[in-house]
Amino acid sequence: MTDTVTDVNTGEQVVFWVCAILAVAGALGMVLSRKAVHSALWVALTMINLAILYIANSAPFLGMVQVIVYTGAVMMLFLFVLMVVGVDASDSLIETIKGQRLAAILLGLGLGILLVWGIGSGLVASPTVGLDAANDAYGGNVEGIANLIFTRYLLVFELTSALLITAAMGAMVLSHRDRWKEVASQRDLSIARFRSGVHPGNLPNPGVYARHNAVDTPAILPDGGTSDLSVPQPVRARGDERTLDQVDIDEVRQITEGSGE
Amino acid sequence: MNPSSYVVLSALLFSIGAIGVLVRRNAIVVFMSVELMLNAANLAFVSFARMNGNLDGQVVAFFVMVVAAAEVVVGLAIIVTIFRTRRSASIDEPNLLKY
Amino acid sequence: MSPLLASVGAETETAFTMPSINYYAIAPILILFGAAVVSVLVEAFVPQRGRRPVQLVIVVGSIVAALAVTIDLRGTRLVTGEGAIAVDGPTLLMWGALLVIGLLGALLMAERSIDPLGDAFAPRASALPGSEDEQEFTRRGFLQTEVWPFLLFALTGMLVFVASNDLLVMFVALEVMSLPLYLLAGMARRRRLLSQEAALKYFLLGAFSSAFFLYGAAMLYGFSGSVSLVAISDTLSAKTGEGSLVAIGIALLMVGLLFKVAAVPFHQWTPDVYQGAPTPVTGFMAATVKIAAFGALLRVLYVSLGGLRWDWEPMLWIIAALTMLVGSVVAITQTDIKRMLAYSSIAQAGFILVGVVAASPQGLASALFYLVAYAFTTIGTFAVITMVRDASGEATHLSKWAGLGKKSPVVAAVFSLFMLSLAGIPLTSGFVGKFGVFAAAIDSGNTWLVIVGVVASVIAAFFYVRVIVLMYFSDPTPDTASVVIPSAFTTIALTASAVMTIALGVFPQWLLDIITQAGVFIR
Repeated sequence: MTDTVTDVNTGEQVVFWVCAILAVAGALGMVLSRKAVHSALWVALTMINLAILYIANSAPFLGMVQVIVYTGAVMMLFLFVLMVVGVDASDSLIETIKGQRLAAILLGLGLGILLVWGIGSGLVASPTVGLDAANDAYGGNVEGIANLIFTRYLLVFELTSALLITAAMGAMVLSHRDRWKEVASQRDLSIARFRSGVHPGNLPNPGVYARHNAVDTPAILPDGGTSDLSVPQPVRARGDERTLDQVDIDEVRQITEGSGE
Repeated sequence: MNPSSYVVLSALLFSIGAIGVLVRRNAIVVFMSVELMLNAANLAFVSFARMNGNLDGQVVAFFVMVVAAAEVVVGLAIIVTIFRTRRSASIDEPNLLKY
Repeated sequence: MSPLLASVGAETETAFTMPSINYYAIAPILILFGAAVVSVLVEAFVPQRGRRPVQLVIVVGSIVAALAVTIDLRGTRLVTGEGAIAVDGPTLLMWGALLVIGLLGALLMAERSIDPLGDAFAPRASALPGSEDEQEFTRRGFLQTEVWPFLLFALTGMLVFVASNDLLVMFVALEVMSLPLYLLAGMARRRRLLSQEAALKYFLLGAFSSAFFLYGAAMLYGFSGSVSLVAISDTLSAKTGEGSLVAIGIALLMVGLLFKVAAVPFHQWTPDVYQGAPTPVTGFMAATVKIAAFGALLRVLYVSLGGLRWDWEPMLWIIAALTMLVGSVVAITQTDIKRMLAYSSIAQAGFILVGVVAASPQGLASALFYLVAYAFTTIGTFAVITMVRDASGEATHLSKWAGLGKKSPVVAAVFSLFMLSLAGIPLTSGFVGKFGVFAAAIDSGNTWLVIVGVVASVIAAFFYVRVIVLMYFSDPTPDTASVVIPSAFTTIALTASAVMTIALGVFPQWLLDIITQAGVFIR
């Protein structure tokens, strides 16, 4: 089983090319999308494809963990925060320097070319051992990983608990708010509203008992006057309030007094 | 094609992530780019594990996911806090000047 | 039981062997880790008022206990945890330095009588600055006591970081050390927006750099099939081919570590973070992260990549020279004292790198001495900055330091001492440190680097001396800040660092002896 293989079978080739193209497309989509939410969705696409590539790479356990942890938890957390911050938040949180963008793109492209070329040329003739022997030693992929985690990497495993505690406590410190005021109940709010002396209920709609129902038309009161409360304050402030002619008022009076029938 | 193609793909993704960090200005997108870089490193570890015939690379990738999860929590908490402060700071300017 | 099941059971039982861990050798780590966990529980179960004293007892007690064990471990030289942790001379030395500096940092963070409103941290980091909530919390004297578990976790991470013998432990320790620091940086009581932006910047660039570190580790794993530093070193000497993989791996790994030591061109985060973070945190971080990051850098270079020194030395020569020059020159233009010290710390990283690239036992020893000397001076410097205040908090603008020597001669004298030490004037620890790294560099044939270093020192001396001149040779203005008399916490920290700065300058031999006995990294 430990024969060196330098080629992979056709099925894996198909999987590789499909997933690789989608993963790169997702990565490019993340960098190029103007909206943060679109970036998050693109990068989720990349992560799902990476999960498939892990499974193709004889790492079924990691493939599942990738789906659960990255696409399931991490990216959802990102989306959640994006919703909290506001979907269209494109506010810049870092100082910009003139000409930095071009320099950054060139730097990044240089790095990319160097990495891809260096790794591509470095690995041309490298043999592949394959994981069959390593997996069989303990009866499977999960068992093999578990064995390493609880022997060779036991201390690291325990150390990660420090990270998780720090993360949980950090999130709590930055977001948990102590309450020092009594929370007002509905009853308190209601009492406060009536005590304040302003009109406690809904204001009259504009245009009630009138011929027009545009917002600038005051409602006519049954006694023939008009209600100032029915016209929004800004309209009144601008002096755009419509004045009613006598015909309207008479008509209302007829309706209310029942003599118009 | 041979298994080293996976490593080349990971190099490509790593570089795209690095470009994202350097080019984008939105903190959340910058952070996503960092996550992409970590994922690229994981892909490299997983492929190398297969090429080298031992599981150490897969274990490393597993730990990286744990680390990344903790990092995301802290990072997003900081980002949300700064967002809340900014939103209020722009409204009550005098409060900010007081300090 | 069927024979099949029996055989499966037998196989799994023989397959798993318990890892061998020497618990006493890693006891300092375990003590701090345990104390950190207890301190989290204190947050959960001890009532609000009682938390601060309990936390202080836990922090000071655990650090002192860990220090005692570290001293008792002297002479230990072993690898434990299945090759994960290396406890050797340099490790123990750095543990000692980290614990002492950590203790001084904790004392600075515990200070409560300098700021009339409380300690250096926001009463509640979640309350919006200036909001009604925050005013109420301040009035009630609330303290964010979660800073103590964060401090302990950060110290735990640092201890593991300098002792880590494989790249995975190093990566996780890097995060354990960094995450609490990101959080602490964003919790300043005053100028919170600046502080939070510092936290964000520190976080994003820190995460970025650790991604580089990780990818570099992936390349070295691909090359050698292991993440253990020793195995990588063995493969490097045994295997030919795949050279580009190794080169990329080393380069990316170095990028990740040089970010943490703030070497040019990976230094951009330093000024903003140093300025924005609460000053006690800045002092703690500036001193300890420098030790931890250089410790890890030295271990990787000496243990793992020693055979390839001709490949990485030229890269580090250039970075060391650039770091010294850029740090010194840009510091001259700064008007904020915390920013100036940030650039000064960049320049100092360059000087330490001169010792690192010497790639000899002498270079290692000189770099270790420099780190210890620098750490004490730095924490003292920031202790003084916490005390120099005006109505709006710390007076960090240089113009407010004019004439301070006439208003508060003692504090100004102590600060001058630190400045002289950073400048490398004889009879201070900085001089011995600089002399050591330059001597090591000349011995290994890097004379030109020493010339660059001397030039940078002269430039740097200019801005250090400028502060002294400003304090003593100009008259106090109405704007001049005043010095607040601190409680015993800051006084002890300040006195200890001042005493060490002089002691290491006048009688450096005892520390040099300890370093010589510590020897080199275990392989």
